[in-house]
Amino acid sequence: MPDTLHVTELTKTYGALHALDAVSLSIRTGEVLGLIGPNGAGKTTLFECLAGVLPADAGSVHAGGAALDAHARADRLAYIPDGIAPWPAQTIRWALDFTIGYFGGRAGQRDAIVRALDLEALLDQPIGTLSKGQRKRTVLAIGLLMPQPVLLADEPFDGLDLRQSREVAAVLRAHAAEGRTLFLSIHQINDAARVCDRFVLIDRGHVTAEGTVDELAALAAARGVTPAGASLEEIFLALT
Amino acid sequence: MASRAWWVMLALTGPLVGLSFIGAVRSFSEMSGGAGGPAGLSEALTPLDGIFIPTFGAFDLIATFLLPFVAIRAVSGDIQSGAIKILLQQPRVSTRTMVAAKAIVLFVGCLIASLAGALACALWTSYGGATSLPELVNLSLGHALHAALTIAIAVAAAAMTEHPATAAIVALGVTVGTWAYEFISLGRGGWWEALASYMPTAMLRAFEHGLFRVSAVLVVSAITLGGLAIGAIWLRIGVPASRRVVHSVIAGALTAAAAFGGAMIPGDLDVSENRRNSFTEREEAALEAISTPLRINARLAPEDPRRFDLEHGAYAKLRRTMKDVDIVYTSSTATGLFEPQGTGYGEIWYALGEKRVMERSTAEPIIVNTIVELSGAPALADGDEESFSGHPLVAQPVGAASLFYVIWPVASLSAGFFKRKRRPI
Repeated sequence: MPDTLHVTELTKTYGALHALDAVSLSIRTGEVLGLIGPNGAGKTTLFECLAGVLPADAGSVHAGGAALDAHARADRLAYIPDGIAPWPAQTIRWALDFTIGYFGGRAGQRDAIVRALDLEALLDQPIGTLSKGQRKRTVLAIGLLMPQPVLLADEPFDGLDLRQSREVAAVLRAHAAEGRTLFLSIHQINDAARVCDRFVLIDRGHVTAEGTVDELAALAAARGVTPAGASLEEIFLALT
Repeated sequence: MASRAWWVMLALTGPLVGLSFIGAVRSFSEMSGGAGGPAGLSEALTPLDGIFIPTFGAFDLIATFLLPFVAIRAVSGDIQSGAIKILLQQPRVSTRTMVAAKAIVLFVGCLIASLAGALACALWTSYGGATSLPELVNLSLGHALHAALTIAIAVAAAAMTEHPATAAIVALGVTVGTWAYEFISLGRGGWWEALASYMPTAMLRAFEHGLFRVSAVLVVSAITLGGLAIGAIWLRIGVPASRRVVHSVIAGALTAAAAFGGAMIPGDLDVSENRRNSFTEREEAALEAISTPLRINARLAPEDPRRFDLEHGAYAKLRRTMKDVDIVYTSSTATGLFEPQGTGYGEIWYALGEKRVMERSTAEPIIVNTIVELSGAPALADGDEESFSGHPLVAQPVGAASLFYVIWPVASLSAGFFKRKRRPI
C-alpha cells in the first residue's frame, strides 16, 4: 500500500517535559492504524499536533514528497478529540447537519452512521445532556461525517461498554473498508486488537515500535523480551 | 446566537428600559407643570434630555453589565466545549470569519433588544410627545457604537483567556479602567482630556447631547475592528503563543494608528433641536466670516472650572465653527489657587492677526462679541432670533408598566422556552 502520510521527528515540549520527542511514523492509505500507549504517553499531543490545533515545536508531515503545513493538513486530516461535548445546547441532529454543511461532509452516509452508532433515538437531545458514551458516539458520528480522507480519533472507545465497543469497532472497520484511513488512539489493548491493522506504540513521547501484531511480536521476540506467540498485551508491555 | 445568556439579557431589557422610561415621563410631566405647580424653563423641556437619554440609559447599563457576558459566552462556549477544535479544521473558514460571524450575530441580538427602546419611543409619540428624528438616530448611533465596542472587547478577552470567568474579569476591568481614566484625566487638559473624550462613557455622552462626532465614529470603529482582529488571532490555537503575541502587537499598533488618524478627522455635526452644541445662527455666520486665524491664550489652570466650562462650551463650539483656532492654556499651578501675583491669572487673550484684546468672561455671547469686534465687525446686537421653546408635555406613562414589566419579559422568556423546546439551541 502506498504511504499516505509521513510524520518526521515531530517534537513538542512543555518546558523540561518532552511530550513528543522526535516522533516519526507512517500512516498508510486505507489502513486502520492504532496508536497505543499508557496515559501521558503523548497520544493526544501527537494527534493535536498532526491536526494543527496544537503547534509543534519541530518536525514535519509529508505526503507524496511534499511537506504539509497545518493548513494543508486540514484538507487531509479530520480530528475528533477525546472528552469534548461540542455545542452542548444544540441537539445531535443540529450538530450532524452543521458538520455536513460546514465541512461539505458525507451527507449520503448520515442516516447509515446514525443507525450504526445507535443515535436515532437521541437525535433531538441536547448534546450537553448526553451520557459519556452517548457523547462519544455523537462525536464519532461527527468525525465519520467529516470529508477528510484520514480520520484521527482520540480514544474512540472511551466511555463505551463492551457491547458498544464491539459495535463501534465494527462501524470503524466498515468505514475503513470504504476507503477511509483511520488513525485511532487507544489505551485499551483489547479494543485496539479488535479493530486495527497496524500499531504504533508510544511511551513517554517516544515511538517504541511500529508494525502489525506479527511484526511487533517478532521484534519483541528478537529483543528477547517475550516468547513467540505472545499477545498484543504482552508485546505492548514488553516494548514500552 | 440565542443562548440562555442572550434570552436573559433580552428579558431584562424590558424592565430596565421600562423603569427608565416611566420615571422619565413622570418627571418630564412634573417639569411641564403636570403636578399643578409652575412649569420649568420651557427651553429645558427637550424630549432628548427628559425622555430619550434616560430611557436609552438602560442600554448603557446593559452594554456595560450584561452584553459582555453574552459575548464572552458566545466565544468561550466553543473553547470550553471543545467545539473550537472541530471548527478550526475547516481550512476554508478562517478565525477572522468565525469572529466576524459571531460579532454580527451578537450585534443583531443587540438590535433585537433595542426594540424595547423603539417601543418606548412609540409610546412617547402616542402620548403626544415630540420627537426629533436626527436626535434619536444620533442617540441610537452612540449606543450602537458602545455596543460594538463592548462586543469587540469581550470577544478579544474571551479568545485570549482560558476561562470565561477570567474573560469577564478582563472585560469589566477594561470598563472600570476607562471610568478611572476619565476621572483621572479631569482637569489635566491636553492629551489626557483629548483621549478621555474617546472613552466609551464620554463618547456616548456627546451623542446623547446631539453631537455627531465623526472622529468618535472612526476611533470606535477602529478599536472595534482591532479588538475583533485580536480575538481572531488568539482563536488560532494551532499557532504558537509567541507568534500570536507578535501578531497581536502588530494589530494593536495598526489599531492605534487608525484610531489616531480617525481622531484627527474633523467634522462634528450638531443635530440637536435646540442647537445646544452650536452658537446661534447669527453668531455662527459672523464667526465664519472671519478668515484670520484666531489665537487664544487663556491663563487658566487645568483644574480651574472656568477652563472646563470653556473647553466644553464656547471653545468647543469655536473649534467647530471657525476654520483656524488655536487655544493655549498657561498656568503655574494645577488649581489656579496659588498662582504667583502679577502673572495675570484668569486673563484670556484673543488675537486675530496683530490685534489683541483681553476678556475674562466665560459667557458665550461676550466671547463671541469680543472676537467679532476684534475682527473689525460691529458687535452683534441682541437679536430677535427665535429661541428654542421646548416641548412641554403633561402625560402619564399609560400602558408602559404592563408592556415593559410584564409583556416584554414574559414574551422574551416564552419565546426562549419554546425555541429551545422545539429546536433547543
